[in-house]
Amino acid sequence: MIETLIYGLTIGAILYFFSIGLSITFGTMQIVNFAHGMIYSLGVYLFLTFMALFGKIFPFALVLAIAAMLPISFLIERLVIRRLYGESLDYAIIATYAVLLIGADLIKWIWGAMPQPTSDPLRISLRFLDMNVPLYRLVVFLSAVVLFLALRAFFNRSIIGKIVVAALEDRAGVRGLGLDVNRYFSIVFVIGSGLAVLGGVLYAPIATAEPYMGFHILLVAFAVVIVGGMGNLTGTFFSAFVLGLVIAITARFWSQAADTMVFAVMALVLLKNSLLAAWRRVAKTVMGAG
Amino acid sequence: MEITNPSTGSFSVSPLRKSLFAQDILLIGVSFVLMAFFIPLHWVIDFTIFCILVLSFDLLYGYMGRLSFGHVLYYGTGAYMASLVLLHVSRNPFLAIAAGVAAGALLAMVLGFIVLQTDGAPFALINLAFNQIGFWLIASGLQAYTKGEDGLNTTAGTLGFINFSNHPFAFGFFLVCLLLVFVLLKVFTISPYGITVRSIKENEDRVKFLGYNVFYFKWFTFVLSSTLAALPGTLFAVFYGFVAPTIISPFGNTEVIFAVLIGGAGNLYGAIIGGVVYKLMSNYLATNITRWEMLLGILLLIWVFRFRRGLTGYAWEWILRGKRKPAVEV
Repeated sequence: MIETLIYGLTIGAILYFFSIGLSITFGTMQIVNFAHGMIYSLGVYLFLTFMALFGKIFPFALVLAIAAMLPISFLIERLVIRRLYGESLDYAIIATYAVLLIGADLIKWIWGAMPQPTSDPLRISLRFLDMNVPLYRLVVFLSAVVLFLALRAFFNRSIIGKIVVAALEDRAGVRGLGLDVNRYFSIVFVIGSGLAVLGGVLYAPIATAEPYMGFHILLVAFAVVIVGGMGNLTGTFFSAFVLGLVIAITARFWSQAADTMVFAVMALVLLKNSLLAAWRRVAKTVMGAG
Repeated sequence: MEITNPSTGSFSVSPLRKSLFAQDILLIGVSFVLMAFFIPLHWVIDFTIFCILVLSFDLLYGYMGRLSFGHVLYYGTGAYMASLVLLHVSRNPFLAIAAGVAAGALLAMVLGFIVLQTDGAPFALINLAFNQIGFWLIASGLQAYTKGEDGLNTTAGTLGFINFSNHPFAFGFFLVCLLLVFVLLKVFTISPYGITVRSIKENEDRVKFLGYNVFYFKWFTFVLSSTLAALPGTLFAVFYGFVAPTIISPFGNTEVIFAVLIGGAGNLYGAIIGGVVYKLMSNYLATNITRWEMLLGILLLIWVFRFRRGLTGYAWEWILRGKRKPAVEV
């Protein structure tokens, strides 16, 4: 059971890394950004290439992959996302979905369609009460907690963070102060993309890299963002871990049902208000009758 | 207590419109028959099935302005229900079609109450969630009935000349279905009811202020759209005699969305043209061009940034060029 819990926390950490960027674009620009999945999977493939090129030094390849993806994500923000601001939701979904398709095909073109496994970089398992717990998973979990604290500090203390938080609340108000909101959004977008690549690379040794990996995590991450509240960064943190645990615990009993459980949770959260209202109505009728 | 305007309940159609239907039927029918001379018949049959699905999606997205990422759920439900009926109950193809459509309608009636509580992005995503759950149920949850990834093999029975494995008969029958759906949707969209639905797309709050029960209109339109999506699913099952979980996979939604966009959303001819053009593209290009998905992505981007009104939108503008007068003289 402890193994399951740790697996859940690891998945939760990966989901958290991935969902931050998604949550911010959702909250600030009302854009459902499918292109995030493209940044994630392209980052992982670049990481694998750097691993092969520079002698399998995990942290070095990781930093290189993130550094390589930052300008690409900046371009995506400039050329696609920014032009969609203020448009209706459908256009944004379709345009970013197109970017995701192009990314998946680009990966198939350059690296081929075969899944590419990566080995555990630490190769150390902790023996703990008769159980094997890979140290790597603990490291991933702890780095998510550290990142959460760091992001809290960033959004509460740094001026860029404060501006973005204010713009999440009231975009027009911040613009009224004479600040160029778009510039700060593009900084945060690039940070979010870097974190998505980090999450993807950390996940690579647990799963395998394949061209459509971005599609898969996107679906689950949408659930994370919706459960946590769009643009709510603390909510995203907790919902990522809750859903990570849901995946791990469901997978323990019925592996194919794991994703479906996540969507069931998402449906419940989306319908929370109507369900509560319906429940109150029923309760009222029953009370009134009795 | 429901507040409805008595005038919205009617589907009155003027004689002028009736003669227009004859033109529509002739135009679409002749185009499809002509198409059958140039490309293989089983492709045209496939196009017909797909066009009905795209038409049903156009009602939801183009006319009511609700983008759903889970429309294929009803298509797949229809297909699986029809196959299960063929397999276990009766080999009568019409019974299978009726059962499949009824199953899609029932599912939409129940889920409609749930999904229509939301709007915008949550609406798109909650439909996606239900589609994913449906896909999982078919692929592994209800494996005992659906045979999982192996799919279901069926044969529809024959009654005299009614034989769905006979391509010309299937083509004729499916074309009649397409025309019926087209006329139904045309009547629906030009009736006062349809105008209310289009007003909901423009501004839901104002329609509410006018005293309409908006939820009822949305629910009915959602159920109609989903039911019409189940119909092509049953036709697919009866014609091919084989269904596999890919038919209900959430990825199928992109095809439908793209087809509506090519043709021009909110236009019934647009849905048919979009469906045919998309299928032609995916049949020819996917076999001849290796980087088909990349091309599709680039086309989608061009569409979003340069070509929003779709083929019919531009054609319409070209036809009206010079004829249009400004509504208000300044």
